[in-house]
Amino acid sequence: MADFSRRDVFKLAGVGALIGTMHLSSTACAATTASRMLPPSKGNRVVIVGGGWAGMTAAKHLKKEMGDKVDVVLIEKRKIFMSCPISNVWLGGLVEMDFLMHDFHTPASKYGYTFINATVTDIDRDKKRVYTTEGYVDYDYLILAPGIRYNYDAWFKGDKDMARICATHFPSAFIPGSEHVALKRKVDNFEEGTFVLVVPPPPHRCPPAPYERAAMIAHVFKKNGVKGRLIILDPKDQIKPKGPGFRQAYEQLYLDIVEYVPNAKVKEVDPVNKVIKTTAGDFKFDDANLNPPHQAGDLAWKAGLVNPKTGWCDVDQLTLQSKLDPHVFVAGDASSVKGFPKSGDMAHNHTQNMVVKALTALLKGKDPYEAVKAPTNTCYSMVNGSPKEAIVINVLYEIDRKKKAPVKKKVNVENTRSARLAHATFEWAKALYRDMFS
Amino acid sequence: MNRREFLKVCSTVATASLASPSLFSKLVQAQEGAFKKYKKALLVKEDGSPLKPEDLKVGKEYIFFYPYRSTPCMLIDLGEEVKGTQVKLSDGTAYYWQGGVGPKKSVVAYCSICPHQLSYPTPEFSFINYYPSDTPSKVVGRGNVIQCCAHMSIFDPKKGGTVIDGPAPNPLLTIVLEFSDGKFYAVGTLGKEPFEDFFDAYRRDLRKRYGSSRKAKELVEKSTVVEVEKYAKEIIRC
Repeated sequence: MADFSRRDVFKLAGVGALIGTMHLSSTACAATTASRMLPPSKGNRVVIVGGGWAGMTAAKHLKKEMGDKVDVVLIEKRKIFMSCPISNVWLGGLVEMDFLMHDFHTPASKYGYTFINATVTDIDRDKKRVYTTEGYVDYDYLILAPGIRYNYDAWFKGDKDMARICATHFPSAFIPGSEHVALKRKVDNFEEGTFVLVVPPPPHRCPPAPYERAAMIAHVFKKNGVKGRLIILDPKDQIKPKGPGFRQAYEQLYLDIVEYVPNAKVKEVDPVNKVIKTTAGDFKFDDANLNPPHQAGDLAWKAGLVNPKTGWCDVDQLTLQSKLDPHVFVAGDASSVKGFPKSGDMAHNHTQNMVVKALTALLKGKDPYEAVKAPTNTCYSMVNGSPKEAIVINVLYEIDRKKKAPVKKKVNVENTRSARLAHATFEWAKALYRDMFS
Repeated sequence: MNRREFLKVCSTVATASLASPSLFSKLVQAQEGAFKKYKKALLVKEDGSPLKPEDLKVGKEYIFFYPYRSTPCMLIDLGEEVKGTQVKLSDGTAYYWQGGVGPKKSVVAYCSICPHQLSYPTPEFSFINYYPSDTPSKVVGRGNVIQCCAHMSIFDPKKGGTVIDGPAPNPLLTIVLEFSDGKFYAVGTLGKEPFEDFFDAYRRDLRKRYGSSRKAKELVEKSTVVEVEKYAKEIIRC
């Protein structure tokens, strides 16, 4: 740059101005995305996109494992963290909202990583660069933890208006925020008639969540003396997981309220006339929680890392590195690992034991496969609100080094609901929040 | 320390522990980084008199606080001699765990703060507990274990609190006991301490319970041993 002439500068400025104008006309954030946000990487920068359960776990545990030897940057668009796990319990009125809410700043400050509150607009894997509404950041390794998105196209075949109507009037509430508050309002305000809950087809975020949600909605209806039915439309032939526990709860606690319909694959959804057509018949409803199929989150699509046949990211089964780009790890629900459910606990566990361990080994020049540890997954479901009672499943995995994949070692299930397990449910959540946020 | 040196220390410690308990703790100290000596605290009963071996019911879980007045520990008489063993930490280091103490060498003590995510017994709930062989954990179907119900980490009380299954990355922290003149003393800790994280995570709770963080961090010189049911209103066994 030293022998740059004044004329060259003007020339460049002219080009820049021209490009600037072009960008501005196409996208409002172009001016800010053009600027570098952090000093260049020293070769040890890990950028984490998405501050959900996987992203928060990755940021903390990378710093715990490597301290100053790793430069961790977490980019998250939300202003505050709201937990999807336990949100059903909140929907049932058993905890206040502050139980679900956490801040991004405390852990960033405590563990010494950079927190950037911005929306990612693009990911350039060739340049190893993440563009955001605040500027861009270069990475050496990227941990992509974008969560899920709703696939309304499966229902409305590209009709964006209908998709928007459905999402506005019957929000799914599998992505935390306004949708959850809207759903709670619906449930609390419901007085009579038919309320339909559509279970998304597998794989979807948190396999037992729709059934737990049904139990919590039924609890509210029971408490409020609602004269109506809650119809669960399930594309599967039975409730899974914890089927016996949920069935017993529906039969013993909410017999007059809950109607469970198996083999109800959605054929057509009409949110205007409030009719849903399924392989188990047509259902008219007064209000509903309509859950379309899930896919990997938008940013995974933007990064070009989704297998369009499955809607999820193909990853190495032990390290969770993308099959398409070894510099990108896909953590949390967006990744596809055989035998792993898409859940907060699983995201936390596989991120800590597999993603972080593998990446730490890579940064230290060691074998990532040797470093990976077997995760576990524990999932409580609240099935009764008065008294509070829960059931639980606990899955232990082991690493099959030959297959280079995790395999299930043991599945423990307690389907007999109890108050003890309800207390444990809260401790389960508090402990995980403690790990990620304090 | 290489493997050979480690084994040498192990066998020396094992032999010495048979000869003299105080010599044992001195040798344990030689284990780099793993042993931390605190104020020696006499374990007493609720009436203030020293706890004797016959006061402990076999298979019963007791609670006491050590080395700080707010850090809970469990004490169990496992009913038979528990031999010392090597215990590994997640960082690859290892230490020699002393085994049981007392006349039958059957009494063990561990810090009852879960090494996974710090669940610990409070006056309201105890989520991390000992399950005797006759009352196994329903969820995992095993007895003779210490289990945390938050995420089902299971530890082996007969093997220095090592992790049998579950997400805990490290074994339970051992509370090193000495038995002399018919009395039990806590003298230090062996393993990876969770105290810094514990005091940080529970600042608010501890302030409420003890008045301030400083007060919660007071070291004890004497610690009362009670049945866990007398301390926590609800014992959550899952």
